[in-house]
Amino acid sequence: METKIDQTVDCKGLSCPMPMMKVAKAMKDLKSGQVLEMLGTDPGTKSDLPKWCEKTGNVILHEENLDGGVFRYLIRKS
Amino acid sequence: MADKPKEQGIFGQLFGTFFTKHWPVWVGGITLGLLNILLFAIHSPWGASGGYNNWGENIYKLLGFAGYEGATATGASLYGMLCIMLILGSFMGALFSKEFALRIPPKGEMIKGLIGGVLMAFGATIGMGCTIGSFFSGVPALSGGALIFTIGLFVGVIFSLKYLMWEMEHFPQFSSGKSYIWLAAKPGKGAWQVWSGWILFAIILIVAWKYSPFNPVMTWFILIGFFMGMISQRSRFCIVKAFRDPFMTGETDGSTGVMAGLVVTLVGFTAIKYFGIGTGEVSLRAREMTWVFPHFWGRALLGGLVFGLGMTVAGGCAVGTLWRVGEGQIKLWIAALGFLLVSPISNRFVVPYINNLFPPEMRFRSFLPDYLGYTGAFVLVLAVILLWYWFVKWNEKTGRFTAY
Repeated sequence: METKIDQTVDCKGLSCPMPMMKVAKAMKDLKSGQVLEMLGTDPGTKSDLPKWCEKTGNVILHEENLDGGVFRYLIRKS
Repeated sequence: MADKPKEQGIFGQLFGTFFTKHWPVWVGGITLGLLNILLFAIHSPWGASGGYNNWGENIYKLLGFAGYEGATATGASLYGMLCIMLILGSFMGALFSKEFALRIPPKGEMIKGLIGGVLMAFGATIGMGCTIGSFFSGVPALSGGALIFTIGLFVGVIFSLKYLMWEMEHFPQFSSGKSYIWLAAKPGKGAWQVWSGWILFAIILIVAWKYSPFNPVMTWFILIGFFMGMISQRSRFCIVKAFRDPFMTGETDGSTGVMAGLVVTLVGFTAIKYFGIGTGEVSLRAREMTWVFPHFWGRALLGGLVFGLGMTVAGGCAVGTLWRVGEGQIKLWIAALGFLLVSPISNRFVVPYINNLFPPEMRFRSFLPDYLGYTGAFVLVLAVILLWYWFVKWNEKTGRFTAY
């Protein structure tokens, strides 16, 4: 994966609604085509984020589970 | 057992159906609604704030505080046990899906958890009920006060969400900083979580069975509460989400899931009240007035407002807090602690004072069929739910009230 990451949002340890609020706010400041990296631990994000992306047209480029219960998403702004 | 999907047996596949992905919220809403009807048919509807209050009273009794000697032991309290079972059921759901981990958030989040929990305690004691008793059960119980409580919740959620957005704009460091995650399952591993889940399940079955000779109602409450916890965790059934998301991302799945549950419960509760099902030991009137609290309309409005403020800051309503406790979210552990410690104190020292502020005509039991008949009351409640549905769907399309 050689995706250029424009911004990272660390949502580790946070619970609903903070991860989605942080992602949505960070996305607002990005330009179309830029990529946001999100690190999180709230299982809720795994249903909320894809649904939100589908609605907003943002694209999830990559999704992986890291050690320590942390997951990582790369999202490209539409 | 889920490690090698290709060799999964028939029961492995069944297990995977329930514990790999989250369930749609409406599946949670409908099954919770059905279990709620069952609770009412057996004894009385679902409630949560009474459980917190019972725990708090027992802690004060244990510490030897005067005035709490008469508290019902949690082991003998239907709602005290129901709430414990909600936590344990969610714990099992999280273990089975390997989603359990102790998630310790940054400090600012823990402070918000505490403030949210304390506000929920004040809201629930002033308003006589929480998002379950005075909303998810109260509205289908055809209580006028519950409808007013709901309006209060709405207003509280909107204000609180505005605060959260303001905080993120001006004090982003408040929700950032050091966090710790413990006991999480490693990717592709974590079979210990599944086995622990089975052990927990076995223990609950034994506990439920032990009650059966002398308190069969408790046996049912234990089992239903346990499954309600699991269902809530798997479907992420959350009443804060239902109220908040339309104003945040415009998302409607959380709201429609709760509405589906409300409609199912409405049909069941109306039937129980209309036909007087379960009137053996109590009068028909007592059955009809179940979960219709003397809070119409002043106490309901104020309580709902405060509760709405609290649950949004905490990030979990009465039940959303419980199942997130079971999943290992430490912010909600603190919220639950704030809720249970403040609830008995508020009941004793704050509520009598507040009660006197309201004249009796602002705190009475309003049972809608007394004014509108059963048909009218049913249609009114259904219309309110449909109006809410229309609003969130229209808002999702137009983005008129969404923040992002």
